Amino acid sequence: MSSQKIKIEGELLEKAKKCAEVSGYASVDEFVLHTIEKEIKRLSPDQGRTSESKEKVTKRLQGLGYIE
Amino acid sequence: MHSRRIQKLGLFLLLCATAVPLFSCQPRKWHGDRRLIILGIDGMDPQLLKQFMAEGKMPNFSTLAHKGSFRLLTTSIPPQSPVAWSNLITGMNAGGHGIFDFIHRDPHTLQPYFSASRVEPPKHGIHLGNWVIPLGGGRAEQLRQGKSFWETLDDYGVPNLIFRMPSNFPPVQAKGHALSGMGTPDLRGSYGTFSFYTDDPMTAAGVVEGGQIIPVEVKESQVAAKLIGPDNTFRKGSPPALEPFTVSIDPLESVAKFTVQDEKFVLREGEWSDWVHIQFQLVPFVGNVKGICRFYLKQAHPRFELYVSPINIDPADPALPISTPKSYSRELAEEVGEFYTQGISEDTKARSAGVLDDKEYLQQSRTVLAEHRQIFDIEFPKFHSGLFFFYFSSLDLNSHMLWRLIDPQHPEYDASLAAEYGTALPEFYQQIDQVLGEVLQRVDDHTTVLVLSDHGFAPYNRSFNLNTWLLNHGYITLKTEPSPDQSQVFANVDWSRTRAYGLGLNGLYLNLRGRERDGIVEPGAQADALLEQIKAELLSVSDPQNNLAAITRVDRASEVYQGPYSQQGPDLIVGYNRGYRAGWQTILGNFPADVFEDNSNPWSGDHCMDYTLVPGVLLSNRAIAVPNPALTDIAPTIFAEFGIPKPGSMMGHSVF
Repeated sequence: MSSQKIKIEGELLEKAKKCAEVSGYASVDEFVLHTIEKEIKRLSPDQGRTSESKEKVTKRLQGLGYIE
Repeated sequence: MHSRRIQKLGLFLLLCATAVPLFSCQPRKWHGDRRLIILGIDGMDPQLLKQFMAEGKMPNFSTLAHKGSFRLLTTSIPPQSPVAWSNLITGMNAGGHGIFDFIHRDPHTLQPYFSASRVEPPKHGIHLGNWVIPLGGGRAEQLRQGKSFWETLDDYGVPNLIFRMPSNFPPVQAKGHALSGMGTPDLRGSYGTFSFYTDDPMTAAGVVEGGQIIPVEVKESQVAAKLIGPDNTFRKGSPPALEPFTVSIDPLESVAKFTVQDEKFVLREGEWSDWVHIQFQLVPFVGNVKGICRFYLKQAHPRFELYVSPINIDPADPALPISTPKSYSRELAEEVGEFYTQGISEDTKARSAGVLDDKEYLQQSRTVLAEHRQIFDIEFPKFHSGLFFFYFSSLDLNSHMLWRLIDPQHPEYDASLAAEYGTALPEFYQQIDQVLGEVLQRVDDHTTVLVLSDHGFAPYNRSFNLNTWLLNHGYITLKTEPSPDQSQVFANVDWSRTRAYGLGLNGLYLNLRGRERDGIVEPGAQADALLEQIKAELLSVSDPQNNLAAITRVDRASEVYQGPYSQQGPDLIVGYNRGYRAGWQTILGNFPADVFEDNSNPWSGDHCMDYTLVPGVLLSNRAIAVPNPALTDIAPTIFAEFGIPKPGSMMGHSVF
């Protein structure tokens, strides 16, 4: 399994630390990894299409009245 | 040479004049004093209207029918509101505007979605260098295609107001005033999710149909709970944003004091609050969204029971676009106070889930109509020329919910409930009659009035589970071992041996090669033969309970749709008989055990059936010349009223 290190420094690092803290992440690493995962998922058409569960779709559509 | 130049100039002017409707290269300024008033009454049924007119309950409708015209209005295929209103909006059928059903599916994933609009996860946010942190309430996209008639009115400078037109969320960019209607989500991005807080251990906590049951503890007469807001994509796992509120219950009296952020109010048992403002903080000090909701204290003692409406988008500060111009919803809120912005405001799901009883549901539903009438009373006097379109949802939602109280043949008919609430539906009709009375007072020689509905209504006694029927007849094959991942729709279907499936309220699709991801039916002769076979078999289905035909009409999409999107909808449109509808579970691809079931849901009337059985109504103060007008004739009628040439894409004609 390959790996890649990314260097974040200065103002960006400080902002990332702040965001990780207020969002409940255990560390900046965890926050950055999660952010990348989310963006990859969003940008991948196939991933994006299948990401919603049947339960979530059903729940959202129930308010139309026609679905139990 | 000179005359040739004049000829060329004449030709150019002629071309420009005829090209206006197509290209709007030279929008005309409209200077007329013509007025067109349209009341769009969702679900007004011609049979009920005639009955109530005969009983003397609808004097203004009787006057209009007597002095003007009353026709049946051919509805859309299928007769579902998003499809029907899109026919009216564009003057085209579903092949032209691309809305075929409440529910569409992605042919690649078979994921269902609401056909008319989509709220997507946020694509903008805080920028941290090259990083983008998602923020905000997401993006709304309207999925209806085709130009709306009011955009064309704008081109010609005709003033217009479009109030709560369905299938117009987010509202198309237009110069007139418009508020979005059916299709507008709540703040959670759903089409309505209520909350019910209770300390009753007998009430199961968790997700219920259209809402959420939240257990709470009453400690020393105090309740601490949280309102559920939109998913906070800024936070890990995107949990819903939560905002706390507290309730102090009087230990002796059936009354409680509520504290919700900065607002404090007191409710007696059985009392509704006014709109309560709530601000969900997504990122501290950076991002928040505003909503409004109403509290109903169902019970203070011995058990605590509190209903909270879906969190509506705040019209005074909308998180998503709900009006044009953007300031219009705020201006309305300043004039009339806050109001329901959610597209389907009547909380039918809270009634179906048993959280609200009939009395409570009716209180909520009457509030919705009262708000609409209040806005009507503010807006109508301001109307002087052009088009005034005003939509009312009440007859549709209440015909769905109250049919069991007017029809002794319905399986859920209850004589005592009927005695108590059986007059409610006629009373809603009478309120619409009162609105028409206000309109008729202002009619003069320059004013045309149209009162119309998108479809009629019928009882919904029995469910037909289309996917179970397809399974039993070998058109669907399930996997020998259930899929370990049950999170997706049709999870157990073996697509390599499935030829057709049902999705939505009237849609039947082939598993077509080249369209569906795992399609096996060859387009062309094989698909044609299969469609004819399924159509013939469906038309011969009879209900074993009474030997009635369950399906009276099946249309092939290729024969009833015209336009660029004709290929994107279902292949067959299943038209159910009066009394029948697609079952609750089959709509999203489930397989109940039985093909037929009694409908035991309070949602007891419906219209998603054979379109010839549920026509709408069309009334006017003028003589309607066309014997069989259709929804697709309305946009051409509007254009004819203002002297605007009908675009070639429109299929209908003026009804006058």
